[in-house]
Amino acid sequence: AMAGAAAARLRAEIRRRERELRGLRERLRPSWLLGFPAELPPLPARSALSAAEILRYSRQLVLPDSVLVVGCGGLGCPWRSTWRRPAWAAWGWWITTWWRRATAAAGAARRGARGRPKARSAAARCGGFNSAVQYVPYRGALGPRSALRLVRQYDIVADCSDNVPTRYLVSDACVLAGKPLVSGSALRLEGQLVVYNYRGGPCYRCLFPEPPPPDTVTNCADGGVLGVVTGIIGCMQALEVLKIASGMGSSFHQYMLMFDALEGRFRNIKLRPKKADCAVCGDSPSITCLQDYEAFCGSSATDKCRTLQLLPSKDRISVERYKELLDERVPHVLLDVRPQVEVDICRLEHAVHIPLRKLEEKDEEYLQYLQKRIREEKQRTDEQTSFPVYVICKLGNDSQKAVKILQELPVKEFGSVLAKDIKGGLMAWATKIDSTFPQY
Amino acid sequence: MVSVLYFARSAELAGLRCENPLGPRQKSALQLWRRSVKLAVIRDQVVFAVRQEYVLLGDQLLLLQPGDEVAIIPPISGG
Repeated sequence: AMAGAAAARLRAEIRRRERELRGLRERLRPSWLLGFPAELPPLPARSALSAAEILRYSRQLVLPDSVLVVGCGGLGCPWRSTWRRPAWAAWGWWITTWWRRATAAAGAARRGARGRPKARSAAARCGGFNSAVQYVPYRGALGPRSALRLVRQYDIVADCSDNVPTRYLVSDACVLAGKPLVSGSALRLEGQLVVYNYRGGPCYRCLFPEPPPPDTVTNCADGGVLGVVTGIIGCMQALEVLKIASGMGSSFHQYMLMFDALEGRFRNIKLRPKKADCAVCGDSPSITCLQDYEAFCGSSATDKCRTLQLLPSKDRISVERYKELLDERVPHVLLDVRPQVEVDICRLEHAVHIPLRKLEEKDEEYLQYLQKRIREEKQRTDEQTSFPVYVICKLGNDSQKAVKILQELPVKEFGSVLAKDIKGGLMAWATKIDSTFPQY
Repeated sequence: MVSVLYFARSAELAGLRCENPLGPRQKSALQLWRRSVKLAVIRDQVVFAVRQEYVLLGDQLLLLQPGDEVAIIPPISGG
């Protein structure tokens, strides 16, 4: 009888736990399904903190403001640890695209399965740190149609995004909505932090009226970024948001913080005040609503690499065709034009390496080396036709630029050379030909 | 000695991170800027700072003192 009673008690316990679990699942679900641009669910009415909350936050701040964090990669992730402690009676609103191949920094939040939106896994993990804070994940890329409405619902905006169009979009939206923008960015070993549109300081356009030509922008996917650098800048962004939210103010509306990790130095560059003739925050602005920022910047709102089409298809070959040529032992020179640092990661053994930059500069030493290699290979054939030079890089963009340069080389010195680029570069080689070849 | 510091993209374009130009101590911001022709493509996308202070790229004359730092700072957009 005692065993039966114990079993009944356990069954009742299991039912109770299952009910609790269902309840918890229900609570989580609506926030995961929020559409864009949803109205914020109201904060639960609370007149005061509970005794437990007062104990938990006795040494810290209680902040009434809400914060919109745009992007949760390397810069957005460190926020999670800063939200762990302060009694942030606020909404975290994460906006991002779906999981991509993560950078080293983004790896910090990579707990959920691949294919899960980063915002969702980040918010879910934050909720695990501090259940008193409400985190609202938002999935989808921020666009001109939704940005203003969203930004208006918040007190402070933090830009943790990774591309130029989004930076102009978020800045313009903050100017139009009258919100301070705590903007952080990082690339390689450098980081920058500025608070825009705050207490008479400049907006992003005051400092950078025109977007950079797309060719001159290095993104993290191409250039790489050290996770510690994004971590440092991301934490400083969180700090400035806390200061603004608590009324302490920030001095980075007058200064740009620059972090040079290589030199180990922070610099504060005194900035100009807002520009009287700024197109968006000036005295008579020409921009009064959000625009098409991808068209404005000539690049897409993502940090993924662009695919260029510089050459006609007769000047390009596929990786499959190149593999055939290799197997048939057709005499040729394979020219790898990636920077040295990438060649050090991985390379095809038989490739001749000359960085694109050296070709562009018409570097004598490198050109002579190329000439020598072509001559050596050419001796193996007795054909008089044009000698093939195949050019490869990481993704097939730089290789096209290199082919254009090779096509203009003097025939007198190099002989007749038929240059073609290998479409999709080494990354196509890795996916289509040799699965053991590293992808980076 | 005056140092010109190149950051982010400008360091890539100029091919160096720091240099110590010689010449007259009085130069305009534009003259300083034009030292490197390769930077022309990013002219509207930089913060040009002398002694850690924003300077408009114009014809106004700057009196450079030994130890002064000129910085060319393009925005970085990664994250």
